[in-house]
Amino acid sequence: MEKKIYILVVEDEPDVLDSIVRDISSFETYFPIEMADTAEEARELIQEILDNDHEIGLILCDHVLPGDNGVELLVEMEKNEATAPARKVLITGQAGLQETVRAVNEASLKHYIAKPWKKEELVEIVRELLTDYVLENVKNPLGFMPILDGERIAESIRKSGAISDL
Amino acid sequence: MSKTKWTGLILGLIGFIFPMVVSFPGLSLAGHLAMSIFLMAAIFWMFETVPIYSTSILVIFFQVILLSAEGFIDYSSVLYEPLPYTQFIATLADPIIILFLGGFVLADAAVKYDFDKSMTRLLLQPFGSQPKFIILGLMLVTAVLSAFMSNTATTAMMITVIIPIIARMEPGDPARIAVALCIPFAANIGGIATPIGTPPNAVVIAALNQQGVTVAFSSWMLYATPIAIIMLIIAWYILLKLHPPAVDILTLNLDGKLKKSRNAIILYATFGLTVLLWVTEGLHGIRSSIVALMPVAVLTLSSALDKHDIRKLPWEVLWLIAGGIALGISMKETGLAEWMVSSISWDQFGYLMLLALFGMVALVMSNFLSNTVTASLLIPLAISLVTSGIIQGTAGMMTMGLVVALSASFAMVLPISTPPNAIAVSTGMIQTKHMIISGSIIGLIGLLLVLIFSVIYWPFII
Repeated sequence: MEKKIYILVVEDEPDVLDSIVRDISSFETYFPIEMADTAEEARELIQEILDNDHEIGLILCDHVLPGDNGVELLVEMEKNEATAPARKVLITGQAGLQETVRAVNEASLKHYIAKPWKKEELVEIVRELLTDYVLENVKNPLGFMPILDGERIAESIRKSGAISDL
Repeated sequence: MSKTKWTGLILGLIGFIFPMVVSFPGLSLAGHLAMSIFLMAAIFWMFETVPIYSTSILVIFFQVILLSAEGFIDYSSVLYEPLPYTQFIATLADPIIILFLGGFVLADAAVKYDFDKSMTRLLLQPFGSQPKFIILGLMLVTAVLSAFMSNTATTAMMITVIIPIIARMEPGDPARIAVALCIPFAANIGGIATPIGTPPNAVVIAALNQQGVTVAFSSWMLYATPIAIIMLIIAWYILLKLHPPAVDILTLNLDGKLKKSRNAIILYATFGLTVLLWVTEGLHGIRSSIVALMPVAVLTLSSALDKHDIRKLPWEVLWLIAGGIALGISMKETGLAEWMVSSISWDQFGYLMLLALFGMVALVMSNFLSNTVTASLLIPLAISLVTSGIIQGTAGMMTMGLVVALSASFAMVLPISTPPNAIAVSTGMIQTKHMIISGSIIGLIGLLLVLIFSVIYWPFII
């Protein structure tokens, strides 16, 4: 079976979760989306995805969650070799400066989206971050050109010489 | 391993063993072993059981152990003078390989210093803002670059140019398809224009060299560039007919700066001088493979290219070409090629029919297989027709070589036909059906044009 790259969305409010997933649904055919409403559930999902030999390309995570908070989850992912390459985004209204700094320093947070967000903004961020992930972690990124930043993918093929005349 | 790969592996092994257990009358022991290698290589190349460049190395390896004077087979009691093994491994440094190395180094440096992009901006300037002329401009630039750089690298670069153009076009404009298709097509066509344009040219030129026919860089251009230009215009016309632009004006953003660092300037000078010496080979007579050493030397000693850049060169392409050349050597030296060809009575074909047959086979095969593999498999057979007298002399061999090389490059029906096609379809801007329709028309017209050239043009200038 081919390796799949997942998008993980962690958010405890069902309405908000739905609306995030709806906004990024155009990516679903290339990047299956998984949802969790707590950090604990997210951990189980991550384990399941990794056990099936798939990977996580992007996590969109709320900060305030019942139980462990979002930043803790992101820091934990950063420490695990298998989930460290995943691009990490906080979508939140309530993360304080201290926690946000921690997410940047210890979880190499790639983006902070304040609620409420605009759909175009979210889609653009997801597109660029997944492009980053694919360019760094996928041997042949060609297949992702239609959904991601095709210009950057073509440019990386040009610069790396990944495909040659045979 | 996939089912296809397993099938290929099993068939390849059967092909390898078959000539060892069956005795063909009229074929020497060495010829049988050369056939083993030929069948295995052909099947592995077709099924891609292993990467095609590994098959090439396998060919050279088996030739050394089965067919060389230093190999395991004792030929002292039979009528075959085994070649020293150095002949087989020397294919990895064949003059044509060195020529390609020079081309690779130039292309690698051009990409490093964005010379390809700067050239594109410069060359696109005169084409104005009408979509049909912009498409023509894109095609000409792509073809010129792919004549000196790899078709694939050129396509990847041009895709970065056309994505913003297409993004600015109306979603329903049929010309979006024309813009996206014109790049791979022009890259495939541009490859035929020079000896270093695409690897099949190398395989064919090396095979001609073994027959004592030397092909100057400028002579190849004289033979092939006119056909490339005509095909570009035909492809342009076809794409516009099938996908006419809906608007009259298209804006191009040609902003960008020419790099002016010391190394970049060294590259521009080296690039210009090398290409100048190549295209004027007929005037000064310095062989193109010797000229090719100049950019390799200059760019590395001026540190415009460092060892990381050298490691990034597409070495596997050189392996692939070398394997193709080596295969040709063993088929010629052991008499296998002649034996295979002599089992068919060719006299019932006319000369033109014969060219048409090889051109058609090359076109069809190359749509499914690598262009280089197609040329490697066909050229030993095509050229050995000379010894059977159906094809006459140098001009006949040269014509046959051009027919095989050019027809192999005109295969652009499917995404798998060439890497540029694959990249273009991957962008999601075109569907395979668009490529099949225009690619088939262009391929057939290309073949027809090759046959016309072999009657009214090449005989008079070769």
